[in-house]
Amino acid sequence: MSGELIGAWIAVFLTLAIFSYLYKDNAFYKIAEHLFVGISAGYWTSMFFWTQIQPNLFGRLWPSSHYDSESLWYGIYNAMSWINSSVFPAGGIDKGHEMHLIYLIPFALGIMMLLSVFDKLSWFARWGIAYTVGMAAGLRAYGYLNSNVIAQVRNSTLNFSDPDMPVFALIGNSYFNGIVLLIGTIAGLLYFYFSKEQKGAFGKVTRVGIYFLMVSFGASFGFAVMGRISLLIGRFVDLIAYNGTQYHHATSWILVIMVILLGYSAYKNDDPKGNTAE
Amino acid sequence: MNAILNFISRIGQLDRRWIFLIIALVVLVPLYFPLGLPIRATESTKQVWEAVENLEPESKVLLSMEYGPSTKPELHPMVFGIVRHLLKNEHKIYITCLWPDGQFMAEDLIEKVIEVEFPNKSYGEDYVLLGFRPGGEAVIKGIVGNIRKLYTVDARGSAVNDIPMMIGVNKFIDFDFLFSASAGFPGTVEWVQYASDPTGVPMSTGTTSIQVNEVMPYVQGGQVNGILAGMPGAAEYEALIGVPGIGTSGMDAQSIAHIVIVLFIIFGNVAYFVERKKSQKY
Repeated sequence: MSGELIGAWIAVFLTLAIFSYLYKDNAFYKIAEHLFVGISAGYWTSMFFWTQIQPNLFGRLWPSSHYDSESLWYGIYNAMSWINSSVFPAGGIDKGHEMHLIYLIPFALGIMMLLSVFDKLSWFARWGIAYTVGMAAGLRAYGYLNSNVIAQVRNSTLNFSDPDMPVFALIGNSYFNGIVLLIGTIAGLLYFYFSKEQKGAFGKVTRVGIYFLMVSFGASFGFAVMGRISLLIGRFVDLIAYNGTQYHHATSWILVIMVILLGYSAYKNDDPKGNTAE
Repeated sequence: MNAILNFISRIGQLDRRWIFLIIALVVLVPLYFPLGLPIRATESTKQVWEAVENLEPESKVLLSMEYGPSTKPELHPMVFGIVRHLLKNEHKIYITCLWPDGQFMAEDLIEKVIEVEFPNKSYGEDYVLLGFRPGGEAVIKGIVGNIRKLYTVDARGSAVNDIPMMIGVNKFIDFDFLFSASAGFPGTVEWVQYASDPTGVPMSTGTTSIQVNEVMPYVQGGQVNGILAGMPGAAEYEALIGVPGIGTSGMDAQSIAHIVIVLFIIFGNVAYFVERKKSQKY
């Protein structure tokens, strides 16, 4: 039995097990759910260790290009290499990096974050979190200010002296789009102004804001439905492919077995109230 | 009249499992029996096509793949289409991944499209898989500042300095165009904020349907040259390049499922109002 065949049967089983939740919560769904959570956690941990921590952190602290077996620094490395030679291979880590001892700071911050599991030392974790939050806030403040505020305001500004500006266009700048954008932005923002009661003329403007928000939510809902249907189509395409003779009709077999077992479970009627999927 | 109202009222109380079954059937049947409904490209899809078509020959294009198996049905077809278009027009493709799963998607792309349909294109000279680097927006900042510091080796373990098509590529402004295939964070939004806007390198994007509303303001504002919106975007792009693929084959099912969902929404609302009227009556 080839690996591809086994993989196909597993993929079909897991797909149908997840779909079975639409009937009701059941053992197949639970198996798939637990497998997904466990495998995801293991996969991401392994992936991040081998693509980030080992090559980019350890690889910069103990690069093979600076290897000196006589030095104290590489003496520590050799001791770790004796414990685990796959993480710390003999002769230093060859990932094309130069030695950067400044990486000891993120190394220390990372260890401090791990100390959160100990009650008495958990306060150390705040340092690492403070650095991460501060760095992310600084980085994103610039990005959002530049691209979402300044660039958006600049690009949506109407140039009335531009003779090439169309009156109406489906996409891009036009007088119509610019005016709709202006009204929508102002009315939408005013809806979230809570220091004045929304009645009278002010209430009418905020009402317009609600309509714009509803159109936006409607568009989001429509796109969400479209996305989910696309994913369903993707799974069905795979299920159809795995029902071929080269996969020994995996979809049909697993579907029939699953329906029989779920039917038997329903017949036994373990849950008289019949919990349905919410 | 009463019979119709009772029927609508009964539809409103239909067990949701019947609705799931109907949706499954309307998606499944057109996959077995395609209807061949027409596909017309939207303005935003045409913008992407024109952006690629208008590139100078042998342009350096950065293709960033930020998605995994969970969103493969939406994004994989559009990446296939973009790569076919780029290679047909003799451009150089540099593939990076901000998501770990993106690297598997990129390897699948190379195996199924580049190696099969463009056997004369060689790795390292016409396309290269630089691979995944963790760090999200920090990776984008790294590519903008000094790509060689971030990528010392490619995904196949070759030294970047030894790859012929990497000559003259040191930072983001050395690329002529960026296409981001994005399913979320980090993705298109971060590419706009940290790479395209600060450097002025033009970019286009393909996103999952659910992300379209988030990215559309950048398209409307001219910061992004068009957007391929979910599976329909992929199908439209396939129609523009004249190579029907996975996106096109899914569009019949997509269209019919949408009609059925709209009908359910209408029936659901009518049933709600009928029920409300009944309860007011008594």
